[in-house]
Amino acid sequence: MKSMVVRRPSHMAPAGFWLLRLGPWTQLVSRRSFVAGALLLLLLACACLVSLTFGGSRPIPVKDALLVLAGQGDAVSRLLINTLRMPRILAAVLTGAALGAAGCLMQTLARNRLATPGIVGLDNGATAFAVASIVATSTSLLPSILALFGAATAAVLTFALASGSGSRGYRFIVTGIGVGAMFSALTNLMLSQAPIDAANRAYPWTVGSLNGTSAVAIRALAAGLFFGLPWACLLGRQLAAMGFSERVSISLGVRLGALRMTTLAATVWLTALGVAVAGPVGLVALIAPEIARYLAKQRGVPVLNSAWSGALLMVVADWAGRNILSPIEVPVGIVMAIIGGPYLIWIVLRQPDRRVQ
Amino acid sequence: MPERSRHLAPMLSVAGVGLVLLCLISLLIGAGDVGAWRSLETLFGQGDEQSRFVIYGLRWPRTELAVVVGIALGAAGVLLQSVTRNTLAEPGLLGVSAGSSFAVVMAISLGASASSLAFSVAVLGALIGCLLVMAVCRLRGVGSDPVRLILAGAAFSGFLSALSGLLLLRDQRTADEMRFWVIGSLAGRPVETLYAALPGLICGLILMLPLVRPLAALALGEALASSLGHHPQRVRLGVLIVVAMLVGTANAAAGPIGFLGLIVPFMARRMVGSDIRQTLWLSLLLGPSVLLGADIVSRLLVSPYELPIGVVTAFIGAPVLIATVRAQRLPIL
Amino acid sequence: MAAVVSISLWCDVVTAAERTLDTAYGLVRINGVPKRVVTLGETALDASLTLDAHPLGALAARGGSQVPEYLQEKAGHIELVGSVREPNLEAVLALEPDLILATNDLSKQLFDQLSLIAPTVIPKVGSLDDWRASFRLYALALDKQAMAEERLKDFDHQVESLRQSIATGQSASVLRWNPQGPILMSAQVFAGQILASLGFLPNELAVSLKHRPHSDILSLENLTKADADWIFLATLNADGEKALDEVSGQPGFAQLKAVKDGHVVSVDGQVWSSSAGYMAAERILADIAKALAL
Repeated sequence: MKSMVVRRPSHMAPAGFWLLRLGPWTQLVSRRSFVAGALLLLLLACACLVSLTFGGSRPIPVKDALLVLAGQGDAVSRLLINTLRMPRILAAVLTGAALGAAGCLMQTLARNRLATPGIVGLDNGATAFAVASIVATSTSLLPSILALFGAATAAVLTFALASGSGSRGYRFIVTGIGVGAMFSALTNLMLSQAPIDAANRAYPWTVGSLNGTSAVAIRALAAGLFFGLPWACLLGRQLAAMGFSERVSISLGVRLGALRMTTLAATVWLTALGVAVAGPVGLVALIAPEIARYLAKQRGVPVLNSAWSGALLMVVADWAGRNILSPIEVPVGIVMAIIGGPYLIWIVLRQPDRRVQ
Repeated sequence: MPERSRHLAPMLSVAGVGLVLLCLISLLIGAGDVGAWRSLETLFGQGDEQSRFVIYGLRWPRTELAVVVGIALGAAGVLLQSVTRNTLAEPGLLGVSAGSSFAVVMAISLGASASSLAFSVAVLGALIGCLLVMAVCRLRGVGSDPVRLILAGAAFSGFLSALSGLLLLRDQRTADEMRFWVIGSLAGRPVETLYAALPGLICGLILMLPLVRPLAALALGEALASSLGHHPQRVRLGVLIVVAMLVGTANAAAGPIGFLGLIVPFMARRMVGSDIRQTLWLSLLLGPSVLLGADIVSRLLVSPYELPIGVVTAFIGAPVLIATVRAQRLPIL
Repeated sequence: MAAVVSISLWCDVVTAAERTLDTAYGLVRINGVPKRVVTLGETALDASLTLDAHPLGALAARGGSQVPEYLQEKAGHIELVGSVREPNLEAVLALEPDLILATNDLSKQLFDQLSLIAPTVIPKVGSLDDWRASFRLYALALDKQAMAEERLKDFDHQVESLRQSIATGQSASVLRWNPQGPILMSAQVFAGQILASLGFLPNELAVSLKHRPHSDILSLENLTKADADWIFLATLNADGEKALDEVSGQPGFAQLKAVKDGHVVSVDGQVWSSSAGYMAAERILADIAKALAL
């Protein structure tokens, strides 16, 4: 029987897509999202350059900055860029990428544009543990490590309490909010009982700051991202199939339960790493996927683009925080929340019933 | 519904008795050296000067304040859950408290002091928080995702606390004061606070009275409510104004005490079902009971110091939240 | 004359040798006499100003736009390099310091980065140890040990002479008052040490706070635990009178013995409960002298 399906030649991709071939492996890449990604990367590079040179207590001409990057330049500029600015920008990029990707996964998993890993208690758990390490013990324990544990603990707790959440993700989200509230109360308690110098030292961990991030933590984040980001992209593709109703997904061969668990694990992993470096900068995970979706204007799970836009946001927010009230620095978490808040309210007001996909 | 109204009267009496008992315990027990026996003696007229000061000067005003704040927050919780048709709604979670806290931070940093704060500032702030709730509900029926409201509230609270953080960055004096205020406490409020809170509470309760029946009708559905002669939009607006008044007053009096607006409706629903005409009256008694219970716990756990009450309510309320959600279906309001 | 000058110059060269300091985050080596000093923290600023090593930059205190009030006059105009909670490392670098003096507020991560800019000294001394130890450490870093010893001797004279004029056997406690209740400062902390050296007796609770600089918020029912013959009320408000008014309206306050005797003194919280430097110490002596009308 002659097939009624129109057969396209196998070397032609559908309109708007490119076909990549690597031996036996083929991959469809949306042209629009690729262009969006390239644009984002370009903007990111520009932002990094601006952050490296303009503003701050000592602006550096672009030429000198490039010299330093090439290995020469005068001592002070070298110190400024290599010790202070570069690590900071690097931390911003990595954290933004991790949180952006995590946010994209989370929103897809929860089928809700307003879901962020932070709201599910991870941020609060990380903050509580980090503050505990500063306030309760001496300075020997690295707060970043404890922040990592804190985020993981919050995730495990939420998951344990919301077990059997079934097909609707709201139970998990609300349980996360409850767990987050408990940790937040703990943090407030610790801060109110701490002597003032310990409270001051703990302050950056309560708002999210890139001031004085430890090199060890940044390296750990880079390593984690190296594996985490490709993993997240892979999951993203599988999740796209989940956009259909459950029955369709299952008949398409998607193993829903396992997919959800794995995605959750990936989200927690990325978020925990990001928060361990920068503190509770949760709103990146909310806005970055929105930007990615707006640029690509296409259904699907734009994990990579979310990562790039997250990185861009963090770099811009960090730069803004350093320069608005100079020499007083505004922590990046506060800047992010101030940008993110109205934007969030706008989302809520604009299209209240539109789902994620 | 004749069946349910039969339950109300016994429940009210149980709650009433419980409240009286808790008030008594609150007078008898504290973090200090004046133990239960001595307090009892003092109540009957034989006690030394110190005991009399502790009972009448410290514990009695504190109990009164707990009752006022408890009524305000309990009623606000039930009203808010009813108007949003959402059993997860709570003034703290939805950003209403965050609004009034932010207003307080602004006022303090502009020169007012924490102890003599204008109540109107806090009420105004709470109103802004309620505006968000209104916007999310779109002044229409909300039958959809119950979580969307919570998430919007959580993000709104985050936004406001970041704004507060920005203000506090420049002003360390305010930051030091806010460090203690932000957890909420019933201790050490001068008697003027109580007097200042009463008008707000009474006003709110009076305004609430004509709204109860329309709210109950709304629970049947908008169309039905309209056909019964009520105006859904006006009712919602009115209820939200009442909530703002009650929450703002409570916040200004005792600082932000979270989760009460979740615990009280939960308990009320378990006792008499979902009809607001019954849960509301019950909540007026349950609210102060729960708050007094939490206050007593906060006095006993770490004597001679005291735990901030916001921490105690958070530790009771978070499990309640989780329990609500673990139930097979969210109870429909 | 020329001989004297040249010998003293030679002595300078000899004494400005390399020295190793034992600091909170390890050993720090310093060479020569530092000329460009940046201080991060009020105790450090206090010490540098006392030792006539005028720093190039300092952190802003309350209000976010100036150094602590009691140091403003001596500090004059000074560059701000951030706030206590968020020091601005770039601003520090822009001043090109050759020595950074900091306090316990600084986290290890910030310390690591600052060390790359200039040797950073943070005293190992906690708030419960003798304040002179941190003063001496800063002096060692600034290579002004002789001047420091002189000043300390001078201070001891002041303490001795004030002590003679104070009646013995009186007790004193230092409180910070919050709406929910008072916070009692430990007897081992800065102000407590000075009070002890003047012959004041601490109260029991203050003595028991051996490992913490201050207590939690005391329940208002337990005010007797914070009571003493003299109470020094450390306030955050610069305006002492206003602070006293605010506090006297609160329940329980009127129950304190010191209040009934009229022996409550409102003092600057910055000096009495957060700083721990030489000028702060002198200021405390002045406050006590004024309060006792001596």
